[in-house]
Amino acid sequence: MMKLEAIIQPSRFESVKDALREVGIEGMTVTEVRGHGRQKGHTEVYRGREYTVDLLPKIKLEMVLPDKLVNTVVDTILKTAKTGKIGDGKIFLSRVEEAIRIRNEERGESAL
Amino acid sequence: MPGPAKPIGVLAPEIEKERAQIRAQFAAGATARETLRQLCELADGTIHETFAGMMKVHETPEDGLSLLALGGYGRQMLFPYSDLDILFLFENHKSEEEFRPLISEFSRTMWDLGFRVSSAGRTMDECKRIEEDNAEFHLALLDRRFLAGDQQLFDRLDKRILPPSEKQARPFLFSQLHRLTKERLARYGNTIFHLEPNVKEAPGGLRDYQAAFWLRQILGDRPDLRGSSSADEQLAADAVEFQSSIRCLLHYSNGRNDNTLTYEMQEEAAQRSLAVRDGVQRDAAEWMRLYFRHARTLNRQLLRYLDQKITMPLSLRERLFSAARSATRTEPPPSGAHFAIRNGQFEILDQPALADRAIVYSLFTEAARTGTPLSRDAERIIAYVVSHPELPGFNQTMSWDTLKEILAADYPGMALRPMQRLGILMEVLPEFRSIDSLVVRDFYHRYTVDEHSLRTIEHLQALADPPDTRGAQVAALWKTQERRDLLVFALLLHDTGKGMPVENHVQGSLTSLASAASRLGLSPEEEAEVHFLIEHHLDMSATVQRRDIFDPSTVSGFSATVSTLERLQRLCLLTYADIHAVNPEALTPWKAEMLWQLFVASANHLSRSLDSDRLHASDEASLLAQVQAAVGGAARSEIERFLEGFPRRYLAAHSAAEIAGHFSLYRKLGGAPLQTELKAERHGFSLTLLTADRPRLFATIAGVLAAWGMNIIKADAFANAAGVVLDTFHFSDLHRTLELNPSEVERFQKTLAEVLGGQAPLEPLLQSRESASRARPPKVAVATQINFDDDASAHSTLLEVVAQDRAGLLYDMGSSLARLDCNIEVALIDTEGQKAIDVFYLTSQGNKLDIRKQEVLSEVLKGTLG
Repeated sequence: MMKLEAIIQPSRFESVKDALREVGIEGMTVTEVRGHGRQKGHTEVYRGREYTVDLLPKIKLEMVLPDKLVNTVVDTILKTAKTGKIGDGKIFLSRVEEAIRIRNEERGESAL
Repeated sequence: MPGPAKPIGVLAPEIEKERAQIRAQFAAGATARETLRQLCELADGTIHETFAGMMKVHETPEDGLSLLALGGYGRQMLFPYSDLDILFLFENHKSEEEFRPLISEFSRTMWDLGFRVSSAGRTMDECKRIEEDNAEFHLALLDRRFLAGDQQLFDRLDKRILPPSEKQARPFLFSQLHRLTKERLARYGNTIFHLEPNVKEAPGGLRDYQAAFWLRQILGDRPDLRGSSSADEQLAADAVEFQSSIRCLLHYSNGRNDNTLTYEMQEEAAQRSLAVRDGVQRDAAEWMRLYFRHARTLNRQLLRYLDQKITMPLSLRERLFSAARSATRTEPPPSGAHFAIRNGQFEILDQPALADRAIVYSLFTEAARTGTPLSRDAERIIAYVVSHPELPGFNQTMSWDTLKEILAADYPGMALRPMQRLGILMEVLPEFRSIDSLVVRDFYHRYTVDEHSLRTIEHLQALADPPDTRGAQVAALWKTQERRDLLVFALLLHDTGKGMPVENHVQGSLTSLASAASRLGLSPEEEAEVHFLIEHHLDMSATVQRRDIFDPSTVSGFSATVSTLERLQRLCLLTYADIHAVNPEALTPWKAEMLWQLFVASANHLSRSLDSDRLHASDEASLLAQVQAAVGGAARSEIERFLEGFPRRYLAAHSAAEIAGHFSLYRKLGGAPLQTELKAERHGFSLTLLTADRPRLFATIAGVLAAWGMNIIKADAFANAAGVVLDTFHFSDLHRTLELNPSEVERFQKTLAEVLGGQAPLEPLLQSRESASRARPPKVAVATQINFDDDASAHSTLLEVVAQDRAGLLYDMGSSLARLDCNIEVALIDTEGQKAIDVFYLTSQGNKLDIRKQEVLSEVLKGTLG
């Protein structure tokens, strides 16, 4: 099992979610986050007040996947989240030792 | 005396059978009242038998131990999966020690028989003492009922021990119950209108009934608190029966104490016509309207009790202080007043006067203006008057002007909320009926559609003092919003389409607007603004969530849709309120920030693209036709000449009728070189002026206004390709000169014409004003900021000035610009409290300002503005 964390543009979220549903992914954790990588912020002045946007809004997706689905999901996210501009985000993958469904204590991939 | 104890193996199936029978009877249509009574009898009988049997087996006398039912069980309202609240009452600590093993055995047996026992133990002495951190226990004790054991011990507690201590503890119990109830209501957003309500805990649920019952006991059965009629009492009884039926159904269906009336259970209840006595089969949405009606009854009853103050005998000292306070604080209402504020609420003084509906409406207007709520008694009196058609009423129609006054006030929700409760909102705006108590199912909304709509308005009025950082940024937009009436009207109607059989609710809401606007008599311009807001009420939210708001093309595309800064401000406020009212968590700080970013970027885009985005009249065939039709007899080419080259904002900011009016003035320029039009507005006047462009024109007009003591709030200065200037100034008449002296209007216009025509000098006028006015120190200090932008326009330099607003400011700035040979191509003047925010597009001899000129101008302006 792998844990996938993807940081994507908020504007791509709906498309990514729909595309993931099409490949059979229903469950995910979604968080509204702020941050920046290479895409630095900018400053807007409105009515004499300066608004510095140094941490840009992003959406963070988290899901744990059975090994056989990892490539499909990564491809799907790459395809739907990409605009080609700086700020499209990143995908992180890490190995997961165990998954346990709290309700019935099921373990392993069947708990996903 | 009961017989010998039956073994559990015998008793348990008997109880289970009886439970199943009660359930079957409920399913077959038995009332909730009957079901609860049977469940209670089953529990009582089991306790009796089990307890007596155990006493017998252990050969223990009952003396010194009593079993009491508390809370809902004490009131004989035991729901299928509710806990049995039982108190073990001991004579003293010695008897407590003796009976402890027996009680454990009793509780275990009851659990084994399928009863969830929730027990507490107290000695007689402990019951006397008030446990300040356990008000819930003392409240539950109010419902005490003898179950088993030592009857004399119970009687002593019930008749001798508790009455005096409860009397003494009344203020404590009242304040604790008040606090607990307020906290509970607040947890549910203080509204009954939840899409999936909890029928026990949510406002309008059975806990409301229970709390009202306790409050009635604590306050004493005062005649003024009883239902105003037996019909009221019947309504409350029906509501308890309705909610209890739902709770029984939920318990039976879920197999546990789960009281959430989910969408699925709403369907099932509607299919079964649960608790419906009129035999009409309803769909889930209609059945839920019955639910809300009953919930409203229980919630109203509770709120009436919550409003009460407990009366306690006062000491002499307290009485003297109280008399002194009331002598100094109470101001008698003016004679002839129909209502007055008492204890921070509006009270009705003259009930018969309410037959004149105009007086009722003026009460709502005052509530909206002052932010003062109506007392429950005031609402009750109005409800009585409006719900009795036999009472002759007059002036029943609310005019658009009156409604507008309510909608434009600082606290429109203070009026609209009671208007909705009393059914008056639906009289004035029948379009609202389509969403009355309407449940529309989705994952995000928590409230019914009408509740959501009213909450949007309440979120806006809360911006007067923003409750958190999410509102802090948009608060200034609300405080300075010129047409709140249109914004609030749009919010009332924006979701009415959800109650119509249409595919797209926005189209339905626009149909509502068309009928409401025609009935109420909105002007075409007003209707067009509201139409825009309703039509686009989802656009800003959709742009924030589905577009890259940092992409300039997103910003320019969105700005093109909204087209003016004023509309952008209203749409931003509407979007803020609309998301906020979905549920308490919907407007996350993250979303609020995104919304603000889009607003700022679009506002800047709109003010910076003014100069480059010019009208080509020949492209505006429809507008040309409208203006031609409105004016009559004008050649199309003449209208084209007038419009050619105005910034596109001019088109967006004015209706065809207004443009036709300007064109009519333009046509008169041949006869007189200056055409003006002065109009009274809600907060002052507007002056529209057409003339040929000339040096110092803008500064001179600003100077005349300053000399007359007028404070310019907003202004636009545009010029067309032929060099005709069209300036509009919105100003407040600080000394009410024009308002109170109609003859001064003519003199003002004459002065303006003379000064602009060069027949009279401006300086003496300004000097006399300066000597007459004393500068007051500003309440909020605003630091001057001067920014130039050479990229915003292809042929002008943009100058943005933020400075402390003061009389004559614009004249001083305009004069400085003129002295340095800067021509104003376009100007946008605005104020925000004591802050002036002015944008000028400047050229000097037809070109952008070079760096040197910008530096000099910056220095000069700093010197002028301080």
